[in-house]
Amino acid sequence: MLLSSKALQISRLRSAGRCLKISGWVLVPTYLVMLAAIYAAFLYAPTERVMGDVQRIFYFHVSAAIVSFAVFIGVFLGGIGYLVTRDRFWDSLAASSVDVGLFLTAIVLTTGPIWSKPAWNVWLKWDDPRVLTELILLVICVAYVILRTAFPEGHRKYAVCAVFGIIGALDVPIIYMSVHWWNTFHPVVITMSEVKLDPMMQQAGLVALSAFLLLALVLLLQRVSIRLHDMITKDILKNLREQE
Amino acid sequence: MRVLGQIWTMAAKDLTLTARSTHSFLTTLFFALLILVIFNFAFQPGVEATRLSLPGILWVALLFPGIIQLNNSFQREQEQGTFQAILLSPVDRGTFFLSKCLSNWIFLICIDMFILLAFTVLFNPRVTLRFLMVVPIILVASAGFTAVGTLFAAMVVSLRAREVVFPVLFFSIIIPIILAAVSATQEILLREQLEYVGKWIQILVAFDVIFLSAGFLVFEYVVVE
Amino acid sequence: MSERFPGALELSRVTHNYGSVTALNSIDLALHRGEFCVLLGPNGAGKTTLLKILATLVRPTEGAMSWGGQFPERHQIGYVSHRSMLYEELTGFENLLFFAGLYGLDPATQRANQLCDEFGLSKSKGYKVAGYSRGMRQRLTLARALLHRPKILLLDEPFTGLDQHGYRTLTTVLKTLKSKQRTVMMATHNLKEGLELGSRILILDSGRLVYDVERKTISMSELEAAYFGNISQEVEGE
Repeated sequence: MLLSSKALQISRLRSAGRCLKISGWVLVPTYLVMLAAIYAAFLYAPTERVMGDVQRIFYFHVSAAIVSFAVFIGVFLGGIGYLVTRDRFWDSLAASSVDVGLFLTAIVLTTGPIWSKPAWNVWLKWDDPRVLTELILLVICVAYVILRTAFPEGHRKYAVCAVFGIIGALDVPIIYMSVHWWNTFHPVVITMSEVKLDPMMQQAGLVALSAFLLLALVLLLQRVSIRLHDMITKDILKNLREQE
Repeated sequence: MRVLGQIWTMAAKDLTLTARSTHSFLTTLFFALLILVIFNFAFQPGVEATRLSLPGILWVALLFPGIIQLNNSFQREQEQGTFQAILLSPVDRGTFFLSKCLSNWIFLICIDMFILLAFTVLFNPRVTLRFLMVVPIILVASAGFTAVGTLFAAMVVSLRAREVVFPVLFFSIIIPIILAAVSATQEILLREQLEYVGKWIQILVAFDVIFLSAGFLVFEYVVVE
Repeated sequence: MSERFPGALELSRVTHNYGSVTALNSIDLALHRGEFCVLLGPNGAGKTTLLKILATLVRPTEGAMSWGGQFPERHQIGYVSHRSMLYEELTGFENLLFFAGLYGLDPATQRANQLCDEFGLSKSKGYKVAGYSRGMRQRLTLARALLHRPKILLLDEPFTGLDQHGYRTLTTVLKTLKSKQRTVMMATHNLKEGLELGSRILILDSGRLVYDVERKTISMSELEAAYFGNISQEVEGE
């Protein structure tokens, strides 16, 4: 990487601008699809027989959960990208993916009780495999943030966080499998997946999933852009201070 | 084969050094014993509820001394400056990682066997031939702890808040090992049929392979500035 | 560049930042075979960082390093810092044996013994390093650095904290290396030693190379003037 500092700054500014522009394009479709999802979930989909209207939160709950798994792809790619190129864009990608992951796991763990309290009379069902999995994802995201704050700015911080991100992302499928098997061998919960046989419910589910994917994308792009702009601002301040 | 030789040279050095300053090793053993004693008070022995919790008790008792051991993997190297000396040598950084994993795993196993013995004495589980099946579970699970712990120890070696940050990182990642190990131990200790032990061991082995490989590949990036 | 200086260790536009602090700023340097380079400069100038980059312990933020067109290999490099980098609970001999093993030296015991003799450690090689004096540690550190007969030796303020005996041993070793035409770069605070040993004098200040001359072209007073003239440190009292 033989770029001079000025060229690096300009390249970062361009990346930040590009991310912001793309997020702008995706924003309107996101709004529309989210509106469609809300309509589909609350009006279009039929009322579930056993649980009633409370079940409707299910569409957002499950979509957020699926996307919260998907963001770890961003963490993984960002980690590898940074280790190979030492370009902080990749570090921003990884850290922003974790931010979005935190947001989504929080949604899952708050919408869950809205559903499980009326259904099972308990706020958080610990032996539910999906709650457990989501909780572990939350834990990994929080651990990443703690790791980030423990280091001063510099290559070591980004490299260490990249490695932890890679390890965490590799762990996600293992977590899913082990919790899934744990539930299969000693089932605690009647899975709700049998309920979603109704084609209208399936359609609503797909719309909700698309909405959350787009939402995650918008948030990711904006977070990356903010991080890149932050870097540039700090660089400029540093240069100004050195010139004094 | 030179790589194997290098791994053994470095692991043997760690074993030699620990044998010469047994202080910290013995202290870790004593700490492990203390945890079991505390559990003995926290859970009433002889009560059915305790019997059901035995697998969990065993694995928590195995985990905590392990954390201390793993967190300090590179302390000696860091304090005495030999970390740099090893990095300066032509030894591949991944090889360095594997050698540290090997010596850590050997220490962990020694501590674990001691804990298993103390556990048997304090909690009186039925010691049959089947009980000994816990041993291979411990061996495989410890390998997983070691892989993750050694990598993270190198990551946080220079942090002042190392003692707190390391457990946070470590626990977030090894949850699947705990799940698999405790579930397998539950079957061995508490159930009549052994249906799923094989599956759990598969998960443990998969974990070990994945994280030893991952650690081997990324260690370079953790230690070079 | 490697065509102009065959067999030279080259740094090209090397910059290194620790977070927001710039330790080295666009360093261009070619170290020729057989040169004894002395690196002078105040604390914080970036000497340690430069040596660590040459030793491949640190990868610079920007810039490139090459030896004869390729990245230098670790078995060609020897490095001595003011830390002894030895295992306290192993004996001197065991330390050398261990590192000889890492460098793939065969037979390791023979080489370890040879170096113990060369550095006057034959009597103490069976004792743990924890009991060694500073001078003995320094000698053992040097022995470790020279185990694998490195093509280039890097020393970071090796005279720090040495007693007279250690000082004399180190100077003798360095003069021997110089006469054998080994490539050496030594960072030091001591202008007198630098002038005595070096064939090329470099001054580093605030991450920049501000002075670079052949030893034979200057005298002590000229060097002092150059050093204090080029260094942008504030003098106390002003």
